[in-house]
Amino acid sequence: MRSGDSLPPGDLPRQFASRAELETTLRQLFPEAPGGLSPIPGGRRAAETALAAIDPLAYGRSRNHLDGAVTRLSPWIRHDVLSLVEVREAVFAWLERSGQPPAAAQKLINELGWRDYWQRLWRQLGDGIWHDREPLKTGHAPERYAAALPADLLEARTGLACIDGFAHELHATGWLHNHARMWLASYVVHWRRVRWQAGARWFLQHLLDGDPASNNLSWQWVASSFSSKPYLFNRDNLERFSSGRYCRTCVAATDGTCPFDASYEQLQAQLLAVESGSESEIAP
Amino acid sequence: MNPVLWIHGEALGPANPALLAHPGAPAVFVFDRQLIAQAGLSLKRLGFLYECLLELPVTLRHGDVAEEVLAFARRHGADGVVTSAGVDPRFALLCDRIAAQLPLQVLEPEPFVALPEPVDLRRFSRYWRRAEPVLWARTEAGAPPARARRWDR
Repeated sequence: MRSGDSLPPGDLPRQFASRAELETTLRQLFPEAPGGLSPIPGGRRAAETALAAIDPLAYGRSRNHLDGAVTRLSPWIRHDVLSLVEVREAVFAWLERSGQPPAAAQKLINELGWRDYWQRLWRQLGDGIWHDREPLKTGHAPERYAAALPADLLEARTGLACIDGFAHELHATGWLHNHARMWLASYVVHWRRVRWQAGARWFLQHLLDGDPASNNLSWQWVASSFSSKPYLFNRDNLERFSSGRYCRTCVAATDGTCPFDASYEQLQAQLLAVESGSESEIAP
Repeated sequence: MNPVLWIHGEALGPANPALLAHPGAPAVFVFDRQLIAQAGLSLKRLGFLYECLLELPVTLRHGDVAEEVLAFARRHGADGVVTSAGVDPRFALLCDRIAAQLPLQVLEPEPFVALPEPVDLRRFSRYWRRAEPVLWARTEAGAPPARARRWDR
């Protein structure tokens, strides 16, 4: 580690020859923190580059697709490197520049609203975001859910190409598309029957945009403690919004063992002890 | 007033109201060792924060946040601490510990949308029914586009 020539004792260095040197320094400083740096760089300059590239119209049309024109601004917004006010203004400026009607930016403005909404709720609930907002609507008692994540999931070796791909991406990059987060969360809570809190903690360990309010309350939405029904998905849905990128190479997709290859009616009957649950419109 | 600025993880950009109010004042960010250990934060997250901080005029420390902020204030002979509002309940606990020793001023950033309290937060749709028209009122368009269907309606 470079201590810096004139740094007062205990001040951390600010000069690095490279990202590799920064990583080495951080490993020494925080030996308890697993992994390495994300390929996604921090900092205001990178944030401004990402903000300049937003396309609200394309976002609105394609945001649910893994290849869609999502903004990827969330890590910077989470730490207010970009403020919501600034992003709002950038969207409105895009509208003026492009001559598009307001509807072209509606989805993106709506999405910024979700961020503001979660923060307002956190202010109101405090650490209550770690507790069920409402009883689960799965028909299963809370004690039927495991307290910890299974090892095969954490090691990305469930044998399901999609789930293992999401776990790997989470660990390697610290970012996941919103739809991937929802599928992964649904798998954890409803297929593996693990308490949502274990999954929420896992995401917060890794997501660069890990915000306890947005994260936990979205997990609760999937689990059904903050929604009227559990969020389930099936293979058709995942395959469509991922252009089949996982199913193409997945053994389970061809040998008949894919746990998602079923109708919503079948999945409800299999996973829930009540009549409910389907792919619905998407929460952020 | 001769304050130091406490920069925390909810305001690492140029909109930070403490930085705006006191340009050039000594500023400190403290990596919260207890939080990092308790939450099991990965190096990815710490690295992202670190790179954000390298683009801010701020001294970097690690350890107990309140103790480090107070020590930083002593080091600069400050008579107070200025920071920006935080939502995390942990922030309020740290504020209490700092304010027990030095005057602490907490500045609010510009809100995304200003809504008179109380705001009904039971579902997003209730919040959005009030927020959306206010957000769009300031644009040339004046009115929000037709309402979209959402999962929670």
